[in-house]
Amino acid sequence: MTSQPMVADQETRTPTPSAWWARLPWLRIGIVLAAVVAAIVLAYLRSGSTVVVTQAVVTGILIGGVYGLVAMGLTLIFGVLDIVNFAHGSFLAIALFLSYYLVAGMGMHPYLALLIVLPAMFLLGALVQRFVLAGAMGKPLENQLLITLGISLVIENSLLLFFGANPRSVSLPGDQGVAILGAVAELSRILAFVGALVLAGLLFLLLRRTSLGTAIRAVAANDAGAQMVGIDTRWIYMLTFAIGTACAGAAGVLVAPLVTIEPVTGALFNIIAFVVVVLGGMGNVVGALLGGLVVGLAEQLGALLLPGQSPLLVVFIVFVLVLLLRPQGLFGRSGS
Amino acid sequence: MRKTWTVAAAAALALVMSSCGGSTPPGADTDDNADGTQGGGGSTETIKIGSLHPLTGGAAADGQQMDNGAQLAVDAINEAGGIESMGGAKLELVSADTQGKPEIGQSEAQRLVQEGVIGLVGTYQSAVTANVSTVAERAKIPLVIDVSSADSILQQGYSFTFRVQPSSQVLGTGGAQYLAEVSEAAGEPAQKVAILHEQGPFGSGVRDSFVAEAEARGMEIGPVISYDAASVSDFTTQITQVKAAEADVLMVAGYYRDGVLVAQAVDTVDPGLNAVWGVANGAFDLPQFPEEVGDAGEGYFDANYHPDMTNPDMQALADLYRETYDDEIRTGAVLAHDAVYVLAAGLESAGEADGQKVRDAISENEVPTLIAGNGPISFDEVGENTNAFPILMQVQDGVVVQVHPEQFAEADPIFPAFQ
Repeated sequence: MTSQPMVADQETRTPTPSAWWARLPWLRIGIVLAAVVAAIVLAYLRSGSTVVVTQAVVTGILIGGVYGLVAMGLTLIFGVLDIVNFAHGSFLAIALFLSYYLVAGMGMHPYLALLIVLPAMFLLGALVQRFVLAGAMGKPLENQLLITLGISLVIENSLLLFFGANPRSVSLPGDQGVAILGAVAELSRILAFVGALVLAGLLFLLLRRTSLGTAIRAVAANDAGAQMVGIDTRWIYMLTFAIGTACAGAAGVLVAPLVTIEPVTGALFNIIAFVVVVLGGMGNVVGALLGGLVVGLAEQLGALLLPGQSPLLVVFIVFVLVLLLRPQGLFGRSGS
Repeated sequence: MRKTWTVAAAAALALVMSSCGGSTPPGADTDDNADGTQGGGGSTETIKIGSLHPLTGGAAADGQQMDNGAQLAVDAINEAGGIESMGGAKLELVSADTQGKPEIGQSEAQRLVQEGVIGLVGTYQSAVTANVSTVAERAKIPLVIDVSSADSILQQGYSFTFRVQPSSQVLGTGGAQYLAEVSEAAGEPAQKVAILHEQGPFGSGVRDSFVAEAEARGMEIGPVISYDAASVSDFTTQITQVKAAEADVLMVAGYYRDGVLVAQAVDTVDPGLNAVWGVANGAFDLPQFPEEVGDAGEGYFDANYHPDMTNPDMQALADLYRETYDDEIRTGAVLAHDAVYVLAAGLESAGEADGQKVRDAISENEVPTLIAGNGPISFDEVGENTNAFPILMQVQDGVVVQVHPEQFAEADPIFPAFQ
């Protein structure tokens, strides 16, 4: 009952280090970079201030890192389980509330909360997959989509019920503005960006250099085949969903100092995360990070290019263009 | 690539969901004192009043506050003997959840009408209120708007809709007037004012009237930057634009979450302003604001409708609210409280639960208010509260205090607000 594999199989067959480096899509990277440079030049002509444009680029890259961070778990779950996980934003909200209580209630350092939030979210993800989603595996995409939508409603409204709607916040001790090339950025945003890089790197290593990662990629490519060579696909499904949820947990801890924490905060990131997943190529973790950067830059430079419009306008223009020209995503594999 | 398109469709669905607040299905209301509580103390009748607010979704914190405020008003009126002209008839508040969505607000309003409510109070979001006002007009029952500032709502020519809070026209004009007064009194008249506003009808409405009044008073305006309150996640670039333009005051019209982000960005960029000047800002005059942003919010102004904290009745209500709901009362709750009193006074004058008669009574009544303004609530022919006017608040030592005009001032304004 599975749909056709979207991951080209030579990818999984030849995990030699030299091979993937040579196979990087240089042409596409070049086109994207050229588009970014053009947008920067236009923004400069439009606003006439170097400082403003520099600031837009710095902010765009930093925000883009956060978007990529949030989208990584989503793209992993989609790539392997074929589940469009609507509950991802709600898992993020749970992580935010967990961090809030660890920081405000127990006086923990905001980043130390990772030690508790990560395992907790991993466990939650495993439980949700095993007891709620497992029965719907292999069923049409809509089934799982509706289930995760239901989960997100339950989570969001439980948070509302138990914690109330009043906004909360986590503050990072010693958070301050840092000067970068004439622009400024809050330290917490820079750290969130670094966190996104680290997480992308870890996931990349996990998927490429470990036997678990190989198994996960095998299931993503062809679950029936993977089963035939002795991989316990149900176990891999559960683990992958748990890892994806733990990613939401990591994202929650890292963005907690940047946002106002409310039950609906996670949902704010949902739209952007879906856009990032498609831009980056579904199932591609590093692509999610790059997709995040594209969205962040589009949003910031777009606001300069088209003042008075929603910044999301430019993001969605880019999104629609990519869907039309390259439906598998900017950095997705040229499958089919 | 069937899957890509599925995900794209999912993204679109997410957009629709989140733009509407994404939450529970309708129907779960909280009328805890339904049937069975009537008949006490010789009263013959229970009169139902509908309270329509966003109890779930993104604005749930404010919606719940407002519903609580309305409930406290109903309780107080019943305790004081109910509607005397109707033999001490008791009021009953029927609460409904709009989820912040116009179509849900409309269907819930219809449901309340079928349940026999004699009047409605609500609803916080202008788009929801516009739909509910249509239902009220058709059912010929009064709608008393507590919060919703869009000018357009009362320009539909409806006769059953009244608004307690000032319109965005009044708010923007008042904000610019206070800026001129306070900055001139301090000997540092505002010269170049940058504007940052949310792009909806509320932000743009306030911007238009603010710009008109500020320019009339000789201030230069620019740059004017708008943003999408639902999705914005950082203001560093916008504040850098303000800095590059060398503005000396930044006017901000927006909601809570974005207000917090503005304060953080101003703190990071340090644009060298004399003041950050909120107009009807949903963050700068709330007690949570200085708590959340700490020192970054110190000195922030907000010209806004606000409870008159120098009024002993208002202090009593704030205490009662804290006692009952274990939370600090917000302006919205006080407006909902006032709106219920407007309906009750209308019933009192009309002497019977007839929509048309109550409407006529409301349009002629004067009702005392707990909100600072130019006097008691009284409505002009389109339904605007003629005495609604903003006052000026400032964050001083981590507390929001009233600073202007004189008769409402708890402290003197500090201008320039930053060193």
